[in-house]
Amino acid sequence: MTDLTNTVKATDRADGADTASKDKRGASSIRMQGLRKQFGRDSVALAGVDLDIDAGEFFTLLGPSGCGKTTLLRILAGLEEADDGQLKIGGKDVIDVPPHRRSVNTVFQSYALFPHLSVRDNLAFGLRMRGEPAAERNRKVAEVAEFIKLGSLVERRVDQLSGGQKQRIALARALVCEPDVLLLDEPLSALDAGLRGQLQVELQRLQKRLGVTFVFVTHDQDEAMVMSDRIAVLDSGIIQQVGTPSEIYEHPANAFVARFMGHDNLFAITASDSNWVDTGLGRLQLDPAEQRDTPDGWLLIRPETLELGGDVPADYNRLEGTVEERLYRGSRIEYRLTVNDHPLTAVAGNLGQRIHDVGDRVTIGICPEDLVRVAA
Amino acid sequence: MRKRTLKRGLTAFWWLTLIFLYLPLAVVVLFSFNAANSAARLTGFSLRWYHQLLGNEQIITAFGNTLILATCSSVIALAIGCLIGYGMYRHRHRKLGWLIVLIYLPIVLPDIVFGISEMAFFVQFHRLTGLLQPGLGTMVIAHVTFQIPFVALIVYSRFVGLDPSLFEAAKDLYATPLKRVIHFMLPTIKPALISAFFLSFTLSVDDFVISFFTAGPESATLPIYIWSAIKKGVTPEINAIATLMIGAVALAAVISLAFNRQRKV
Repeated sequence: MTDLTNTVKATDRADGADTASKDKRGASSIRMQGLRKQFGRDSVALAGVDLDIDAGEFFTLLGPSGCGKTTLLRILAGLEEADDGQLKIGGKDVIDVPPHRRSVNTVFQSYALFPHLSVRDNLAFGLRMRGEPAAERNRKVAEVAEFIKLGSLVERRVDQLSGGQKQRIALARALVCEPDVLLLDEPLSALDAGLRGQLQVELQRLQKRLGVTFVFVTHDQDEAMVMSDRIAVLDSGIIQQVGTPSEIYEHPANAFVARFMGHDNLFAITASDSNWVDTGLGRLQLDPAEQRDTPDGWLLIRPETLELGGDVPADYNRLEGTVEERLYRGSRIEYRLTVNDHPLTAVAGNLGQRIHDVGDRVTIGICPEDLVRVAA
Repeated sequence: MRKRTLKRGLTAFWWLTLIFLYLPLAVVVLFSFNAANSAARLTGFSLRWYHQLLGNEQIITAFGNTLILATCSSVIALAIGCLIGYGMYRHRHRKLGWLIVLIYLPIVLPDIVFGISEMAFFVQFHRLTGLLQPGLGTMVIAHVTFQIPFVALIVYSRFVGLDPSLFEAAKDLYATPLKRVIHFMLPTIKPALISAFFLSFTLSVDDFVISFFTAGPESATLPIYIWSAIKKGVTPEINAIATLMIGAVALAAVISLAFNRQRKV
């Protein structure tokens, strides 16, 4: 796999002015209001979605399968009709515009390359359907082939390509049309982990370079956090939270988002006051800013904020626990502890400090500012 | 040891089956090149029966009728069957079992029943409207009806084998409904269409029963001619026609198969 950014730099050097002007072309904002979609009688895919996506943003729709994220993407593409609601792309109402008249292109999960066409003809398909003259088509296809560094792939037949190559062709085929918005439907899910990691970085750099609005659909929270400017977490056709990766990871809006972002340490709050909460772990001090109107909800403790062993500063919460399991992960060590019969996970960076053994009693220090209250 | 005996037995069985299937055809081909007048003995190689065919006006007419009938009916069946195949694909998620059965029915229905029904229909229709005099026209209609299911099923299975997002990719890439048909659907199913055409063509050339019931006095096809000729006895001339037909049908079948194979991409 080649590095997209290198190519970008090469193109830039060779033809700086032209590429620079191309960068500024129409990125569009997206505004969704009250979008609803139902399949059959009782399968609600979208239960009223309001969402604003800024022009030039890398925006990710994140959620488990069946949460409605793909339906939402298909409504943006025009491949699905919303039952109700409004959709504006670049300020224009497009709810009744058919997909072939929307300046929006999609990278499909299965890539959807036309089997009867060569790679070159696949790349030129959109331009040809739009009626652009052959000379213009050839120039743009050559440009995108250079940009995404397709090289000799252009001469191949579609059935001679590997998964990673198909993915790049599908991306190039959508980008060559210079859409205002690019939609990506889990385009990396069929690739192996190494290639996926590489392409995540490349896609993100590409998006920043082009400045086109990207709407990316995935069920992988790590992928979403690495790539996105902002993320919307969906469940049961409802947006649970919209925010930057750090907002969503560090301050999940509710227990669903917290669990989906991979947090295990959630404890039901039994009582609370302005600066403390009671949970199964005991009474813990927390920052007064975390005070909520409602007494219930969950307390989130991020495993990487726990300090094991050693001295606990006076203003920290102090707990005692037993090491039940130790998972050595190289760069970090994960401990499964029990505190007052409740499981608690802690992660410590492997910095050469003492490694605790299974069965050890350890002191656990928690800074009050690291504790987060999460709505039910 | 026993395993090897079994294997040999199966191989022998395979060859026996082939001989059983193709020996009669081989005999016809062989005797079509026989110099002698009778089928009793082989006297030497000769093309005289083929020469004689060319001089027989009835045979030339029948040959022409067969070609016209097969070509016209296949083209019409291709157009209609293609639309039905696409319709079946588009609505495959609905519960249309009964419709599929309706489409399959002509395939399993005995030809004789089909032929008689067609004949009865055409006679009544002609009596009431004065249209559809028995002849090549009625034969084309009858042939189209039994060719349609084959075309529809071949086209349907091609569409089902495609990634459904291809249809969406075409929409997404600015193809209007008409352009989707011209630049995506037709090129994609082209192998299936060619295959379906040659299968229809073969079925039409092969058909005797339905042709027989729907033909007019002037529209005898080769199978009908052969049938009426052998009432006077099998002549070497018939062997020559049969040989030519075997060749033509085999060619069409091979073309159909070749394009059917190409479909998986």
